[in-house]
Amino acid sequence: MSIATGAIRGLQEVARDPGSWWRRSKGSVELWANLIVLGWALVFMLWRGGGFAITVGSVFAIWAVLAVSLNLVVGYTGLLSVGHIGFFGIGAYAMAVLTSSASYEQLRTEAIPTFGWPFFAALPISVVLAGLVALVVGVAFNRFRDDIYVLVSFGFAVIAFTTFLSWRNLTRGAFGIHQVARPAIGPLVFDGELEFLALLLVFLGLVVLISWLIVTSSFGRVLTAIREDEEAIEVFGYRTTHYKLAIWVISAMMAGLAGALLASWSTFIDPNSFVLLESVLLVSIVILGGLASIWGSLLGALAFVMLEEGMRFVPFLPSEFIGQIRQMILGILLVLLMLFRPQGLVGRFKL
Amino acid sequence: MSTEVDPRVYVLETRDVSKSFGAVKAIDQLSISILREWITCIVGPNGSGKSTLINLLSGLLPLDGGIVVVDNVGLRVVKAHDSPDHGITRTFQEVRLFDQISVWDNIMVVLTERRVFPALLERTKPSHKEEAERILKSVGMWEKRDAMAQDLSYGQRKLLEIGRAMAMDVQIYLFDEPFAGLFPRMLEQVKSILKDMREQQRSIVFVSHNMDIVRELSDHLFVLDSGALLAAGEVEEVLGRSSVIDAYLGN
Amino acid sequence: MSLAQLSGFMLGSLLRLREHQSRLLATALAVAVVAYIGWKIVQSPDQALQFAFNGLAVGAVYALLAMGFTLVYSTVWFFDLYYGAAAAIGAYGVFYLRSHDVLGGQYAVNSGPVNVLFAVVTAGVAAWALHVLLYRRLLRRVSPKALLVVGGLLATAIGVYTGLVLANPAELHLVLSPLVALLVAGVAYWGLGHAYRQLVDSTGRRPIAAIAAAAIVLGAFVAVLVANTPSLGLYLSWGVACLLSGTVSLALYRGLYVTMRERANSPLIMLVASLGILLAITAFITIVFRSAPRPLPDTFGSEPWTIGGANIKGFNVFAIGLALAGFSILLFMVKKTAFGKAVRAIGDDEEVAKVVGINTTVIIAIVFFIGAVYAALAGLVSGHDTAIQPRMGLLLLLKGWIASVVGGIGSLYGAIVGGFALGMLEQFGIWDLAGEWRDVISFIVLIVFLSFWPQGLIPRK
Repeated sequence: MSIATGAIRGLQEVARDPGSWWRRSKGSVELWANLIVLGWALVFMLWRGGGFAITVGSVFAIWAVLAVSLNLVVGYTGLLSVGHIGFFGIGAYAMAVLTSSASYEQLRTEAIPTFGWPFFAALPISVVLAGLVALVVGVAFNRFRDDIYVLVSFGFAVIAFTTFLSWRNLTRGAFGIHQVARPAIGPLVFDGELEFLALLLVFLGLVVLISWLIVTSSFGRVLTAIREDEEAIEVFGYRTTHYKLAIWVISAMMAGLAGALLASWSTFIDPNSFVLLESVLLVSIVILGGLASIWGSLLGALAFVMLEEGMRFVPFLPSEFIGQIRQMILGILLVLLMLFRPQGLVGRFKL
Repeated sequence: MSTEVDPRVYVLETRDVSKSFGAVKAIDQLSISILREWITCIVGPNGSGKSTLINLLSGLLPLDGGIVVVDNVGLRVVKAHDSPDHGITRTFQEVRLFDQISVWDNIMVVLTERRVFPALLERTKPSHKEEAERILKSVGMWEKRDAMAQDLSYGQRKLLEIGRAMAMDVQIYLFDEPFAGLFPRMLEQVKSILKDMREQQRSIVFVSHNMDIVRELSDHLFVLDSGALLAAGEVEEVLGRSSVIDAYLGN
Repeated sequence: MSLAQLSGFMLGSLLRLREHQSRLLATALAVAVVAYIGWKIVQSPDQALQFAFNGLAVGAVYALLAMGFTLVYSTVWFFDLYYGAAAAIGAYGVFYLRSHDVLGGQYAVNSGPVNVLFAVVTAGVAAWALHVLLYRRLLRRVSPKALLVVGGLLATAIGVYTGLVLANPAELHLVLSPLVALLVAGVAYWGLGHAYRQLVDSTGRRPIAAIAAAAIVLGAFVAVLVANTPSLGLYLSWGVACLLSGTVSLALYRGLYVTMRERANSPLIMLVASLGILLAITAFITIVFRSAPRPLPDTFGSEPWTIGGANIKGFNVFAIGLALAGFSILLFMVKKTAFGKAVRAIGDDEEVAKVVGINTTVIIAIVFFIGAVYAALAGLVSGHDTAIQPRMGLLLLLKGWIASVVGGIGSLYGAIVGGFALGMLEQFGIWDLAGEWRDVISFIVLIVFLSFWPQGLIPRK
């Protein structure tokens, strides 16, 4: 709403004095960040065509769900969690275990239970399971804050990854789980890439809507107060532990949803998608895009995906280094952001 | 002072309350009683335990011993998040606003639903908006409502914090040095706010070093020294006692 | 909302229960752990001894990490995640210099750009160090222009020398012998002069010429010795790796942290920025060395020693000794020297330290340098013990961080105790599990400690 009114007000002003747009936008990092990332994405998709756009869109949607959900915790509540990838993985593994069919025998090294559920039956289970784990973890983590919170959340990511890798009776360890089900409603199966993208975007829209409703509610306002001064808001009668736990569980459920979608989208998962460094990258996306801004997380996820795709077309760049160079650029960006713009590109909160 | 109030009604009492930090006894077996609808002032030299006392009463620090009596209920453990239920709210010695949110939200945040799940479903109500507007206008911050709290001047921050406490509709207000570092114009403003609150049958406890203000406002005075009660009673009489003068000037 | 209220109530009572009974729970937990370990020891003492040895070996690495980490943390009070990269640089520095030795040079790496990069970084750091340490003092006697030229040349020479060292890993003993000579001569000069004062004549003038001659002869002798011993290459590469890691940390400190701390001295901002550095350096290492694990060359022979039915590698004994020596040195520096006093003053209050005339920039720079050297040592020890991979930095960082929290944040005694305790707990923890769960165990140890003993084993005073 505020974006719309702001846009209208801005348009009115530009209509009165066309020069003002340029004068104002010269110094506005937000505007330029939006223009560059969106323009870049648009040009790329037009250039590479539909198939590329669909793949990029799907990857973007999954990262965006993750980034928006993490921003609820990091940006709005001020808990710098580096362990969010764990919930992502729990969602993915729940979906994979519940829906993978027993017919896949080729790589079977250890027998794991298969259930062959349909996608839409497994989806709520994945989400709820991530939430339940978050509840337990959240109770244990609730008393920590600031840098110690970073450390214990690292711990959660490590514990989750080790579990995925080493609980072979359930996850088949490093071999991963194949043939995860694609979603189907009756006879309509989402096996085309375009259909799946549509589904992903619907879920992304849902997550964004829920997040927006949360952050604009009274609950959301209390979260920002907890971020600013937890002790002070406690004196005004808010049980901050409950608030932190609630947003932690909600955020984890969204991450679980993203994981379930990823498992179904790629139909194969292994622990490599859930390593600690991915989690750190996720935090960088959130900080890069902007803390305490849902739009910022969408922008950050888009920039992240376009960074990787864009580098595929840099000449003389061996393709095996793309991931590393992207990581390097993100690392350097993180340093620069902390130096010059601690709220991220379009953020509302400085660390 | 409103004369029709029975002066024997206590809204808040401490009985043998103690608190130490390591080997230092910040509060040592302190027993005081706060009277209803009076302005009570706590004075004492630096380090005499005034702020610690307020932190104990609002639950920011756990009690080492003794009990706090509110509404005729004795409490061994005071929880910070229960303090509005006990009818207590406070301000802080070093201003603690929610820096990176707007002035408007700084007030709104204490007006809204406190339980987690109803808060999730609650959108901003018109009644909350009216209340916030009334409070912002009464502390003279209405024009600044869209500014970030961190961008305000020191005096404005102090006023906003008092406004935030006023937004809590409770019986007892603990103000930790509300007058420190204010310009004369703002001093008058805060003084009149405190007097108005007394007119509205609220009980106020404040800490101050400014003896003129203490003389002007207080109905009752406690003097702390090294965590213990040095003197209590009517202002002029207490300030005239030689032991009190010694504590301030001597040593 | 009855369900909501019920769940809220249940949660609340759960939290309250924990607050009230945490002491009891903590004690019960400690008793249970001790009982479990005791039971295990009684059951099979031989195996217990083996696990204890393993625990000590791993603990040595953790202790080294925790010591440096604690030193840095208790001075600047933010968690410097570059520390993990420092460990990785230490390990990969050794690999870079010895890769022609490992597996018949199959994975030999030596790239011009990397050499040049480090040459430039070293030259920059050298220039800064010369500026900070000597420029002011010499300004009165020498013209600034001459100083700039000489200093620039000197810094360039140091940079070129670093590049040469890195470019000729096979002739490390030859290339490094002049540096060794210089170091030995310097130490000998200082030591002889000191000894002369102490033993011979404490008032008169020292025979400077004689002492200098002796020092030069000694240095030259050692240099010839080094130059004729190619097998010293490995140990020289340790030194180079540690110095490189320290140099990078100085570059980061001067290039980044100083500015950043002036802008916003918030621990979280510093933490996130150093996280960015860790990401970038890890990616850089992966690009240069690839992500697959690599071995480091053998040391002291791989034949294990057998003590009381349990095996321990000679290298592990060396590592434990290294940790203890490192602890003693650090303890001496912090408790007995003027440098240590300055460090503690800065840790207590940096502004006050500045006011009383401590050159905080230099002292903190030295602290960062020492921290990085300890991290590099830990990294290369752990690399020799198992294998190296680019990701090791993050994991070692976390282990060092955990060990320093378990020991007591900011306490030097806590760091070494916490390191060995964490190593032991980890090893005894995986007795009944597979070894891959050891990271999980150390994080569970961390969370238990933070929940019940947030002060750690030996709290900082």
